[in-house]
Amino acid sequence: MKILIIEDEIELLIAISNFLIKGAYVCELAESFAKADEKISIYEYDLILLDIGLPDGNGLELLKNIKKRQLNTGVIIISAKNSLDDKIGGLDLGADDYLTKPFQLSELNSRIRAVLRRRKFDGTNVLKFNEISINTESKTVSINGTDITFTKKEYDLLLFFMVNKNRVLTKEAIAEHIWEDNIDLANSFDFIYTHLNNIRRKIKAANGNDYIKTLYGMGYKFSEK
Amino acid sequence: MKFLTKINRPFLISLTTILFMVSIAGYFVLQIVILDETKESLLEKEYFIIKQIEESGKPINIPPIIEVKEIDSLSLKSPAFTKIYVNDELEDEQVLFLEYSNQLKIKDSCYSIKLRQASYESEDLILMLSLGLFVLLFAAFGISFFITKKINKTIWAEFENNLREIENFSFTGNQKLQLIKSDIEEFDRLNAVVKNLTEKLETDYISLREFTENASHEIQTPISIVLLNLEELLQHDLTEEAFRKIVSSINAIKRLSNLNQSLIMLTKIENEQFNADKTLAINEIVKSKILEYESLFESKSIKVEFVCDQIFKIKMNEQLADVMIGNLLSNAVNHNFKGGNIQISIREKELMICNTGEANSFNTANIFNRFVKGNSRSFGLGLALVKKICDTHKLEIEYRKNDLHCFIIQQKS
Repeated sequence: MKILIIEDEIELLIAISNFLIKGAYVCELAESFAKADEKISIYEYDLILLDIGLPDGNGLELLKNIKKRQLNTGVIIISAKNSLDDKIGGLDLGADDYLTKPFQLSELNSRIRAVLRRRKFDGTNVLKFNEISINTESKTVSINGTDITFTKKEYDLLLFFMVNKNRVLTKEAIAEHIWEDNIDLANSFDFIYTHLNNIRRKIKAANGNDYIKTLYGMGYKFSEK
Repeated sequence: MKFLTKINRPFLISLTTILFMVSIAGYFVLQIVILDETKESLLEKEYFIIKQIEESGKPINIPPIIEVKEIDSLSLKSPAFTKIYVNDELEDEQVLFLEYSNQLKIKDSCYSIKLRQASYESEDLILMLSLGLFVLLFAAFGISFFITKKINKTIWAEFENNLREIENFSFTGNQKLQLIKSDIEEFDRLNAVVKNLTEKLETDYISLREFTENASHEIQTPISIVLLNLEELLQHDLTEEAFRKIVSSINAIKRLSNLNQSLIMLTKIENEQFNADKTLAINEIVKSKILEYESLFESKSIKVEFVCDQIFKIKMNEQLADVMIGNLLSNAVNHNFKGGNIQISIREKELMICNTGEANSFNTANIFNRFVKGNSRSFGLGLALVKKICDTHKLEIEYRKNDLHCFIIQQKS
């Protein structure tokens, strides 16, 4: 999977690419409009992460160029501006998603995987982890081949865990993923316990293993052991 | 008071005063002039009567106008004018006459001459003339008043137009200020001053706007770097202490970022950078928000009652409407207790959100101020944002505390 990261802040660029390389992606980097434009005209990418606040040009212009040349490339806009106009503008121009800085890598990962699934680069709609499999098209969960009914939030939560398996996720990161920034998070952690307990209960009832580990009461990790 | 009214009113008042004063003065002047004329004509008649007596020796008598009598001796020293009432045989009433009486010696005989002229005719004439004067002046003044008014209107039309232009001008709109050039020096000077001022303000406004946006960008980027690095650190095998410290750092940096975003939003609202471009039904937004927050309500076992008999429609920015209702709802959850409830009711031009909660969790006086917190862990910007959004959309927000904590938003009419 080949990803082009366009971001003018070098440290951010390196942090993102290090993370993605660990996830077995092939990354190319561009820190300016000119460089990005050149790369787009030569190579083909499965996904482009595009910071629209570039010093030498408007990222939305770049998006137009991308869509002209590579119709099948997924694009996720990264912006420092939490602006609805920019978001709508970007999505209208053909971007798949819009992520506001600052974001967490687990959230970025989840968005990237969603775009790749939607654009069928993953080849399959089914996400598997041992006995648990999630069909992202029909939005169903099955354990040991049996379909289990999950509520929408439970499904979102489990998918987030599976996409970010072996990663430590803080309660805040989980809450934010579920709520998409819309909420004053101060008192909204209780519901994570509730949902997690429901998920654990449902998986256990279907003879599945509990892969969700609690870390010092502050975070969770979905992993084999 | 409008400028033209201010000019026209004293003009009208002085014209009316002048009109009446001139008419009244005219009446008296005419009276004096006509009395003089009458006296002169009586004296002229006397001259002809004397001449007639000298020639024929016989006096004429046409009472009551001319009465000439032979008398024995002269008793009157000098001729005199008097006003007397004489019985008018035609109309059988007392009529005022001007009487001239004289005694003369003509060819050795003494005569007493009395000449009279009715003065009611001249009274009528005076009145008619005064009235005529009044009507003429009235017409002249009236016409000049309307002409001045018309001229004023055309002269001030450009000013009016420019004033309207300035009133409707907004920095957020894309239109430039278009002032009409007139041929009046003072107006053109005013236009130049206004134009200079707005251009200066506009550049200031744009640079402020750019500053806020740039500041946001500049702050969010280092925050992103810190956050990503901390998140990567978290993936290592850590002791509990290290783990806790990193998580608390992540949360602190996230709070900083949210605070920054809220402040930027407040500034953007203050700068009117959100356009109220759509007519929204508050009912729909509330409905979708309730759905969105469902599991949040569940987690605190909060019961939500939603009553909407009428539709509350308003021209508003969609993002802001979303923030406004979202903040009010999360406020109602955050300050609620487990198993409490939230009551939402919508009427035409009114939205009311009430929740159960501890008695003294809010200070009524400064509840909408920035950084005023109840007992939650929030920044205290949520309600300040709601208030600001209300202010910019002609909405009135009120906090009432009885058994429940209620926020009422009403559209000002």
